[in-house]
Amino acid sequence: MRRIVSYTLLTVLLVALHSTLVNVISIGTAIPDVLLIWIVYISITSTQLNGTLAGFAIGLLVDLISGNDGMLGLSALTKAVAGFLAGYFYNENMTEQTLAGWKFVFAVGVVSLLHNAVYFLIFLQGTEISWWRIVALHGIPSALYTTTLATVPMFVFRRKYS
Amino acid sequence: MRQLLDIVLLFKEYLVLIACILISVALLATNDTPQIRAIRSVAVVSVGFVQDVLGFIPDYFSLKKENTILRERNVTLADEVSLLRESKLENFRLRQMLALKQRAAFTYVAANVIGKNVQPMRATITLDAGETDGVKYNMPIVTDAGLVGRVIATSKHYAIGQLLLHKDFRVSARVQRARADGILYWNGERCEMKNVPRTHDVKQGDAIITSSYSTIYPEGIKIGVIASAHVEPGALFHTIAVEPTVDFSTLEEVFVITQVPDSARVALEQTRTK
Repeated sequence: MRRIVSYTLLTVLLVALHSTLVNVISIGTAIPDVLLIWIVYISITSTQLNGTLAGFAIGLLVDLISGNDGMLGLSALTKAVAGFLAGYFYNENMTEQTLAGWKFVFAVGVVSLLHNAVYFLIFLQGTEISWWRIVALHGIPSALYTTTLATVPMFVFRRKYS
Repeated sequence: MRQLLDIVLLFKEYLVLIACILISVALLATNDTPQIRAIRSVAVVSVGFVQDVLGFIPDYFSLKKENTILRERNVTLADEVSLLRESKLENFRLRQMLALKQRAAFTYVAANVIGKNVQPMRATITLDAGETDGVKYNMPIVTDAGLVGRVIATSKHYAIGQLLLHKDFRVSARVQRARADGILYWNGERCEMKNVPRTHDVKQGDAIITSSYSTIYPEGIKIGVIASAHVEPGALFHTIAVEPTVDFSTLEEVFVITQVPDSARVALEQTRTK
């Protein structure tokens, strides 16, 4: 219970911090997704099931603070899928090794790329905007940036567990 | 029964994922019910409060840059003010002569941008002004540089604005010099203006403003300038790329125009379209 409360508070703080700093940390069309790194962390440390549920809840919060843009449920869906996919990297006996190794960065990279692909697939429904073009323009750079950013917690964990 | 329970437990991850997907799809289908509006309001207030507390961080980073920009703008505006004073007097005289209806002066609510959507292309911003400040749904958001977007959700002290760079944003626009009207939208990569017939003389550098056809946006707000304009072979309309005058990457303070659509006009237009 304590863990859920602390994770919830940390999530609200991360969402607020990220949306406040997004201008400072964005490079062109590449917007890093700190929340996705957080979801991957949850999946790796506390099972695929929890990762899926956490992804859904975090995505729903992002949707709710996005205003009435007709896309309520989109982030909930894509981030639940992201949590589920990240759950494949869960190994109860190898949690510390996963977090402190390149496997964590790889997990973030794969999940981020698939997350963005699914996100734009749904987001662009009903428009004439090309999915390929937007994935190339926004999806891939953002995924690469998120992956690069994931090296920061990876090195922190490496230092912690070494 | 026990076997069924075993199966459920065995595939619980998949079942939870399916449940999450189904709920998400249901939410996507029923987007704006009063219950969802209430939950959204609570979420906006909670996150908005934290964003408000953290709001000083980007200010610190951009203060120096902003200072330089403001100094430059101050010089430019001082020149413009003197020119505008002349123009206003001239305009006043001409309006009196022509007995034109004096255009209504709008009132503005100043707001700080305290948050931006973290999802790509979902271009929305959180403002620290809400219903108590007079901000309502569909009110236009502007800066001194031009049109920013419109309000799409409000709570007591916060509002969410949809930017010009959102895929669902549409505004009735006009090429100021050629008086050609069209629809301005974001195509995922840049702003484009469509439905401008090829017979109109539009050129690179022409200013784009809001037209009088919109019930949301007042006429004459700057939107951008034409970055490129050409006619595809066999096409009836121009392909116009527009560069917005607002720099969305450095958006910090905005103004909400407290104008609500003229209900009589909206009602009449709706009757005519039925």
